[in-house]
Amino acid sequence: MAKKKSGGMKYRATPGGVAFNVITVAVFTIFTIICIFPFYYLFINTISDNALVGADMITLLPKGIHFNNYLALRGVQDFGNSVLITVSRTILATALMVLCSAFAGYLTTKRQMWRRSFWYRALVITMYFNAGTIPWYLNMLGLGLTDNYLGYIIPAIVAPYNIILVKTYVESIPASLEESATIDGAGTLQAFAKIILPLSKPILATIAIFGAVGNWNALQDSLILMSNSPGLYTMQHRLWIYLNASSNLAATMQGGGAVAADMLNNKVIKYTISMVTVIPIMLVYPFMQRYFEEGIMLGAVKG
Amino acid sequence: MTQATMRATPAALRKERTPGSIIYIVHRVAILLACAAIFYPGFNPGRITTAINRNVSLFTASISYQSLVNDLARPLARGWVQSSTFVLLMAASIVLVVGIVLCAVGGCMSVGNNRMQRRGLLFPLVGSLVMAGGLVGIYMAYLQIVAAANNRVPANFAPGFWLYAVLAAVTLATTLALLAMDRKRAETLEPKMAMHERYKIFLFFLPILALAFVFSYLPLWGWRYAFFDYKAGGELTMENFVGFKWFTYLFESEATRADIFRVIKNTLGLSAIGIATSWLPMAFAIFLTQVPSKRFRRFVQTFTTVPNFLGWVIIYAVALAIFSTDGFINNFLNNILGIAADTNYLMDSSHMWLKMWLWGTWKGLGWSAIIYISSITGIDPVLYEAAEVDGAGRFQKMWNVTVPQLLPTFFVMLLMSIANILSNGMEQYLVFSNAVNAQSLEVLDLYVYNLGIVNGQIPISTMVGMCKSVISVALLFIANTASKKLRGESIV
Repeated sequence: MAKKKSGGMKYRATPGGVAFNVITVAVFTIFTIICIFPFYYLFINTISDNALVGADMITLLPKGIHFNNYLALRGVQDFGNSVLITVSRTILATALMVLCSAFAGYLTTKRQMWRRSFWYRALVITMYFNAGTIPWYLNMLGLGLTDNYLGYIIPAIVAPYNIILVKTYVESIPASLEESATIDGAGTLQAFAKIILPLSKPILATIAIFGAVGNWNALQDSLILMSNSPGLYTMQHRLWIYLNASSNLAATMQGGGAVAADMLNNKVIKYTISMVTVIPIMLVYPFMQRYFEEGIMLGAVKG
Repeated sequence: MTQATMRATPAALRKERTPGSIIYIVHRVAILLACAAIFYPGFNPGRITTAINRNVSLFTASISYQSLVNDLARPLARGWVQSSTFVLLMAASIVLVVGIVLCAVGGCMSVGNNRMQRRGLLFPLVGSLVMAGGLVGIYMAYLQIVAAANNRVPANFAPGFWLYAVLAAVTLATTLALLAMDRKRAETLEPKMAMHERYKIFLFFLPILALAFVFSYLPLWGWRYAFFDYKAGGELTMENFVGFKWFTYLFESEATRADIFRVIKNTLGLSAIGIATSWLPMAFAIFLTQVPSKRFRRFVQTFTTVPNFLGWVIIYAVALAIFSTDGFINNFLNNILGIAADTNYLMDSSHMWLKMWLWGTWKGLGWSAIIYISSITGIDPVLYEAAEVDGAGRFQKMWNVTVPQLLPTFFVMLLMSIANILSNGMEQYLVFSNAVNAQSLEVLDLYVYNLGIVNGQIPISTMVGMCKSVISVALLFIANTASKKLRGESIV
């Protein structure tokens, strides 16, 4: 049957059916607007005339459009620093996690591995229990990973869930491909680099994108581990501090000569910094949506 | 390698349980322990004075002079101790680590074929001697501290010193024994060094296992803090062992009892609302797929999933932008409708659970629906045709065909949320907490954070976290058993 599989089936246009469609579309439209409007509102307040924003005059449309606020942020030292921390950890931790998951996922498909099922289970079990925040913190303290940039990177390398996803994927690659390489004299590492790695690109893209988003949004580890090192705060942590600043944020910043006089407005600073953390995700999301959706479906397949 | 030889080798390996193989096990365990202890500050042999920070491990001491002398700025500036002592200490630590690495290389080679094993023995032979050299260096630094005899920099003979001395001695002894025995089997040497695949792959996997062990299993060792009267920077000794005191304290002390009941009420209340409405994503998916326009469906799906990928801090920024005194709602009332308004809706403490649920739904609904949308896509159209033949209308098809097809997925999701009933996460409640509403937002995860990290009450917060972990694992087990009984399929 050539009928469309995914809903949206044809119905005779009865008045009831039309009414149903209209109501459904209306409800979904309203919900979608509720989902995106806040970001639109934030955005128009960051590009409108700062005096109007300060007077709470910008409601539905921007007025006096300019982009100086974004440029002015370059002067805000500790935010710039936190962006650097977040961007670098996003790249570094994600890359290492993906590489490790790919390799570990591949190795766990190898039936020859000594005590494979035991080690694999030991790895998978860690998804279902954790010792709790405090023992985890004490452990990190003991390892010297508090107030230490590596505290963001090293614990993120092994991600059991992602290892399972890669393992499941690699198992679906025909064994003959790898065998042919082995016959040509390739060892385990070569077979991994030449055959498995290129073939598992889709799953690696998926786990990379999830890992990157997680790193981008990281707040908790910064909060718990880096309490004595403001220089290591992540972007979200810094944003949270700004959002909670009851004192005159603008005055504090101007005191340090960071912000231009026309940006002297708590609201503008808060909104602009919020947008800076949102925009990359908004920009990347439409292109990566496919990988996100594949990711959740893979999650539904049991490891 | 053919299937047959692959199967045969493990059996062949199992046969040779000679005295040599038992010595090898001791040998490898000693090396493994030495490697693990490098990273654990409690076993740092180089803590030659208690003035060195207790969180410095042998590894830290060997890579960072800064961390090593971090707490020693004053003694060094005043000349109570010489910096050369600590340079010597760091050099000795590096030597010790190099020795351990050499032993580790030998340990890895010991699972190879006979030739590789034999060659591999040279590494621990040299390595254990290098380790001994490092220990001598540390001891010399220790003697210098003793000689300085300054009571502000008290000398400390670290217990880790003995650990490494024993491990180096065991490694050396086993290596010598193995070398002595090795002569007998000179004729069994293969022409080339090689290692069986099963061990090679295991060795590749070993670093991953080590990381998982360090970051997932090792924290369990921290549970012991729950049984001691521990203050930050203090020690765990038999004197401050208190058994289950903190557990009973939770319920006996008037203040904590009120707290813990309030926190549990919040946790269960918020989870209950979530579970009671867990059908929403399914409904979202079913109704969305009823919309005829594919483009519209795509549009809705794209924009409703975005909030899921934003952190809770951003969601809080959105909340401020919309609901605070100078936010959108007030602007809209003032500027568009001309009604004077300046309410800060976030400073209102009523219906907090409901509001938190609304934020959670706003953030997650579109995303949670995707799994159901994909499932609907996969439903066999024949089912709908059959229903049509039977005269089913649109709603009947939704209710009698789509819903039953989605129920298994829904069931798994429901069981998982029941298993996670105590884990609401802390970020959402942390960012939305303020002076007015904190009481009804403090969930277990946040309570543990506030108690342990913010207030530094390590033992009692560890106890709470420990109880939570144990109950969560039990719930997961129950949910899994229920799933097996009801559906014949496990969820984990």
